[in-house]
Amino acid sequence: MTSQLVDVNISKKFSKMDVLNDISFTVQENEFLVIVGPTGCGKTTLGNILAGIEKPTTGHVRIRGEEIDPHIHNISYVFQEPSCIPWYTMIQDVTMGLTIRGDDKTKSVARGKEVLKLVDMVGFEDYYPWQISGGMKQRVAIARAYATNPDFLIMDEPFGHLDAQTRYLMQIEIMRIWGQEKKTVVFITNNIEEGVYLASRIIVLSKLPARVKAEYKVDLPRPRDLTSPEFLKARAEITKECEVVE
Amino acid sequence: MTEKRKELFKTVGYNILSLIVVGILWTLFSHWQHSPFFPTLTTIWKAFVGLVQYGDVEHIGLGAHIWASLVRIFAGFAAACLLGIPLGLALGLKPKFYNRTRAILEPVRFIPPIAWIPMAIVLLVGFSRYVFLIWLGAFFPVFITTLLSVTRVNPVHINVAKVFGAPRWYIIRKIVIPSVLPDIATGMRVGLGIAWMCIVAAEMIGGEMVGVGRLILKYAELIRMPEIIVGMLVIGVIGFFMNEVFIVVERWVFRWRSEVSID
Repeated sequence: MTSQLVDVNISKKFSKMDVLNDISFTVQENEFLVIVGPTGCGKTTLGNILAGIEKPTTGHVRIRGEEIDPHIHNISYVFQEPSCIPWYTMIQDVTMGLTIRGDDKTKSVARGKEVLKLVDMVGFEDYYPWQISGGMKQRVAIARAYATNPDFLIMDEPFGHLDAQTRYLMQIEIMRIWGQEKKTVVFITNNIEEGVYLASRIIVLSKLPARVKAEYKVDLPRPRDLTSPEFLKARAEITKECEVVE
Repeated sequence: MTEKRKELFKTVGYNILSLIVVGILWTLFSHWQHSPFFPTLTTIWKAFVGLVQYGDVEHIGLGAHIWASLVRIFAGFAAACLLGIPLGLALGLKPKFYNRTRAILEPVRFIPPIAWIPMAIVLLVGFSRYVFLIWLGAFFPVFITTLLSVTRVNPVHINVAKVFGAPRWYIIRKIVIPSVLPDIATGMRVGLGIAWMCIVAAEMIGGEMVGVGRLILKYAELIRMPEIIVGMLVIGVIGFFMNEVFIVVERWVFRWRSEVSID
């Protein structure tokens, strides 16, 4: 049975501007929750707050009832921007979380190789970021996020910088990885199709100041077919919700 | 690889060619001028040989002059780096502290080293005078580039470490410092150039009769252009080679940077 892992109830203001307006939702264990919202609605701010690197103005993010804190909780975050560390080789990069945690070196390297295999990057252990493509960098960022076996994994538009084709391949990839190593995921995107393809559940945000506009359960079997009538129906429904102007 | 080598040969070849062109122009001009104040290349060469073989008017050889200046440059430059880099890092990490104290440091930057000469003469003696003046010139480029580069560290890289619960020292050691090192190296290269530019001023007040700057001053009193030009060229050429060595080391140390490794 699923149990609730994360409990979110936050508002965020920058000086006097409301960015997140009383956003509240919960995330179930091993759920793939997708948050969709228009560009510039504060999605990245939401991601940063979920990851504990930014504080909400009011409210809380709790993991198993405890205030979120990267020093205590095992969180991983895949950033929207390319985030590979330029002076780290791929293996150093993916084992970074383990090194910070103080894990045994040989074990870390073994786990590093395992996650590089998971994202199909075997043989790139000693490459530097400038030697690989943008799509590969994003795979490494995902591998790095998986390496620590996080309890809670946040992905903020991880494929936003990729071309449409690579993006599509990465969506298939992320589903394969999630199938192999189940994790509690919050996936933030502005792409409804991507959301419907990935999500167990979708939360739709409004434009600035963002609030939760609607919530959908996506019950389609995986792997999903982007052109099946059920898929298109779900997509149309959510698109319509996004178009509603208040 | 061969492509790279070809390019290197071409670069060196063209540099030699342009040197030859300048040499020819110089020769033409000096013959046309026919003045002791614009000596020919042969006269300069003879002055160089004379300085190496017999030394200057006080029989101090060119080698001794160069060595004395090198020691002073390195001492002043090392002092500038030892102070400028940690201070730049510390103030870069605490921008509030810097902003609230910048009225102390910033004005000092604009006072030319030569203006410090009277104070240096009164307050300092011997070797410390050289070190002080060279330090003055080299410190600010090193300090300012370090300071500014800290504020330009990519916040995503810091956040990556933060999400994994990295302690502050880890972020400073593994993220901030590696990311600012290339900028610090650039600052050091600029600082080294300015250190050389201060050598004449430093040796003006150092008291000792040895040093390339001193050599120029000695022959300036005698209005002997060939030896003065030898002194100038020595400074230029040594500075040039130091810079080249610096660049090679930089490329190797920062081979993770695409900008450097691609060419």
